[in-house]
Amino acid sequence: MAAQPKPLPTESASYLRGGGLLGWLETVDHKRIAVLYGASALVFMVIGGIEAMLIRVQLWSPGNGFLSAAVYNQIFTMHGTTMIFLVVMPLELGAFGNFLIPLHIGARDVAFPRINALSYWLFLTGAIFLHLGWLWGGLPNAGWFGYANLTERYFSPGLNLDYWVVGLLILGVSTVLGGLNFFVTIVMMRARGMTYMRMPMFAWAILVSSVLILIAFPPLTVGLIFLLMDRFFGTHFYVVAYGATPILWQHLFWLFGHPEVYVMALPAFGMISEIVPVFARKPLFGYPMMAYSLSLIAFLSYGVWGHHMFATGMGPVADSAFAITSMLIAIPTGIKIFSWIATVWGGSLRMTAAFYFALGMILEFTIGGLSGVMHASAPVDLQQTDSYFVVAHFHYVLFGGAMFAIIGAVYYWWPKITGRMLDERLGKLQFWLTVIGFNGTFFPMHFLGLWGMPRRIYTYGAGLGWTDLNRLETVAAFILGLAFLVMYVNLVRSAAAGAEAPADPWDGRTLEWSIASPPPSYNFARMSEVRGRDAFWVQKYGRAGSRGVAMFMAGQAPPAPESERAAPAQPVHMPAPSIFPLMIALGAGVMGAGLIIGWWRLIMIGAGAAILAAIGIGFEYPAWGEEPRDPESAAPGGVDVRKVGVWAFLGSECVFFASLISTYIVYKSRNAGGPGASILEIPLTSFSTFVLLMSSLLMVLALAATQRGDRVWERIWLVGVAVFGLVFLGGQAYEFTRFYREGLALQTDLFGQSFYTLVGFHGAHVAIGVLWLSVLAVAAFTGKLGKSRALSVELAGLYWHFVDVVWIVIFTLVYLMQQVTVA
Amino acid sequence: MSEAIGTVAASTEQAGREAHRAHPGAAVYVIVAVFLAALTAMELTVFYVSALKAVLVPVLLILAAAKFAMVAMFYMHLRYDSWLLSGVLIFPLIIAALLLISLLLLFAYLAHHIG
Repeated sequence: MAAQPKPLPTESASYLRGGGLLGWLETVDHKRIAVLYGASALVFMVIGGIEAMLIRVQLWSPGNGFLSAAVYNQIFTMHGTTMIFLVVMPLELGAFGNFLIPLHIGARDVAFPRINALSYWLFLTGAIFLHLGWLWGGLPNAGWFGYANLTERYFSPGLNLDYWVVGLLILGVSTVLGGLNFFVTIVMMRARGMTYMRMPMFAWAILVSSVLILIAFPPLTVGLIFLLMDRFFGTHFYVVAYGATPILWQHLFWLFGHPEVYVMALPAFGMISEIVPVFARKPLFGYPMMAYSLSLIAFLSYGVWGHHMFATGMGPVADSAFAITSMLIAIPTGIKIFSWIATVWGGSLRMTAAFYFALGMILEFTIGGLSGVMHASAPVDLQQTDSYFVVAHFHYVLFGGAMFAIIGAVYYWWPKITGRMLDERLGKLQFWLTVIGFNGTFFPMHFLGLWGMPRRIYTYGAGLGWTDLNRLETVAAFILGLAFLVMYVNLVRSAAAGAEAPADPWDGRTLEWSIASPPPSYNFARMSEVRGRDAFWVQKYGRAGSRGVAMFMAGQAPPAPESERAAPAQPVHMPAPSIFPLMIALGAGVMGAGLIIGWWRLIMIGAGAAILAAIGIGFEYPAWGEEPRDPESAAPGGVDVRKVGVWAFLGSECVFFASLISTYIVYKSRNAGGPGASILEIPLTSFSTFVLLMSSLLMVLALAATQRGDRVWERIWLVGVAVFGLVFLGGQAYEFTRFYREGLALQTDLFGQSFYTLVGFHGAHVAIGVLWLSVLAVAAFTGKLGKSRALSVELAGLYWHFVDVVWIVIFTLVYLMQQVTVA
Repeated sequence: MSEAIGTVAASTEQAGREAHRAHPGAAVYVIVAVFLAALTAMELTVFYVSALKAVLVPVLLILAAAKFAMVAMFYMHLRYDSWLLSGVLIFPLIIAALLLISLLLLFAYLAHHIG
């Protein structure tokens, strides 16, 4: 169990070898996890692709009865959900992000390898939930956007959307954990000399996407929690009949949904920014502007969600604001397009399959971007909304942008991942089939949309003039399917009998090409200092990039990478494998299953298993809570990666609670039938607030005691914090009980449900904190804490103080401002 | 290599000690707690004194922000730790505030113009 430094093997052992099935189940190696993500996503891509084919077959002719309306709804819902959550994101972030980020920044793994494994297993668990409907109860059927109140139990009584809401919640947790991991890894674990302005652009893209994930997923999580409560606990967050507004879902969903588009687009931009310079044999044009524009796109993307909602009637001021931000975002995006073109311009081009797809992406994504600018104009958008024009637009963005980049990335990095080359001829065949199939499928949708064909309809009338273009699209869609078939054949052939890949088959510019293909489990035998942008290129040719081009033109091979010549003689610490991440995910799955079938014992069993497994991870470290640092990747400035991780998590939690608080304020005055906010009791809550504030004092005193090695007071203060937390929870339980007796149940009215949900979630955070502190207290009493483990206490303290500051906000906005109404 | 590990461990430990030295002592923590209690008492005063109803919202928001900042700066040690950690909190905090304000404005418009 303990991870001890071990000598490197004399020969580079592939990360793919060894361990058997158990080795894959308990792996925490970022490269293996990347392969798991990639393999899973490739399977889901087949499923999502078949769903697309079924859609096109149904729309082949007017009045077609190939699929019923009900089945069609399930198929298009699952096509969107699958492609976004189970294909594009896991391929870009889970597979390529995981594989490449540590290699790009010169690290041996991600910051939190076990959490990385947990992200994958949660992803798989969520994906399985989404697909359970194939076996029992039917697939989700309300569109990937799941508009309220179509998703309510009254309108969708089956299991379909139960799977969807549980599956997406689990996938959301997985994605946030993944984003947190990437953020901390890139910020804290870059090799010496790898400044931000020397990072590969793909690392920049993943960094910015990770920030977006941390701030964009919480609103979706909150929206899904409301939906889950509506479906399972009888609340009415989105039901008009109870005074609620379904628009709430649209805001929460698109607060996530539009940044999500960039979570998918930015890694694609990063991939293209890596591929184009290599095959143009030129540095990326305008690197700083590319980095800044990535950041600007991300920032602006959080302020454009309203352009999905022009038709809801937000008013001229809001419409104008969202229109302006949506138009502004075209500027940094345009910068990227021109930078890629300028990089290609005048380059010594090598027309590989990867480069074909990169060029294709630049063209196709530009088309999608242009139609996107059209949507930014509210009057124009009102004509296009819910029509096939929108379907054309987002497929040009997500297929033309993301999928072209992903396929290009497959051709570019497959040799590094597997150690085998892909067939270039098949790759180019796939490219031309893709271009023909893609444009044939989606370009006519612009016309169909403008002619009035609504999206999401399962059939259409014969006299509407839509038949010919729909038939063209269906034929083209099958050509596109053939293109993917070619890719899968290519992958299988390569894996079975492809030519062996050298370490640097493309004369690459970034560090992953400096090590063997496939890489050894420890990545780098020796961590070299990074001396410039395009780190490996500088390592090979020196700072003068033209020297490499001159060697290429003269037909000379580049010099051997420095790290390949380095003797791997030093011991290196690698994280030990762990089965606990898989167990936590299994626990989450059991909880989800228990919820869906309404068996509370199963939920408790799942929760218990997940909690025990999480505690198990804590005790798994060789020195309990202290992972020995790899001296080669020691964090700069003495700041521990775990501390940054906890802070990043708390930052994400800020947005989570802001979403809950917003809903409470919107709904607090909608108290038909219930006592309303006047029921809130200030004296009792003031006492609870005082107790929680003082618990924070005890917490810092506990930390101070631990830091000075005072074991007696360390135990006393820790127990004190936990007791104060329990007192707070007791006060909350008393308050809830009293409210219930006085007629305020969870389902009574919108005030009740938004109050109980907000305050209840805060209480749940307190309960988790008490559990965490109890574990620390046990460790303190068994002598496993102490001065050298002060960081463990500090991390728990950060969480506890955050719970405290959230309560400060809740106490003010909910209790003290109980008579103030906004909406 | 073990020497290297030892060197890094020692330097990390030293950095940790320096960081801990920078943390305030128990006296400061207690003073902060007194301030927090006092600010809470002021909040309750504003709540109960009807003459202050007109300034209830701004005063309560300022007091809550002051309590929030004190806990974050002193108990969570942002005042003493790396600027990076402050940034990791402040950026999402700004986003959260903008989200809250935007949603309230949008729903206020909806309530007043559509119902």
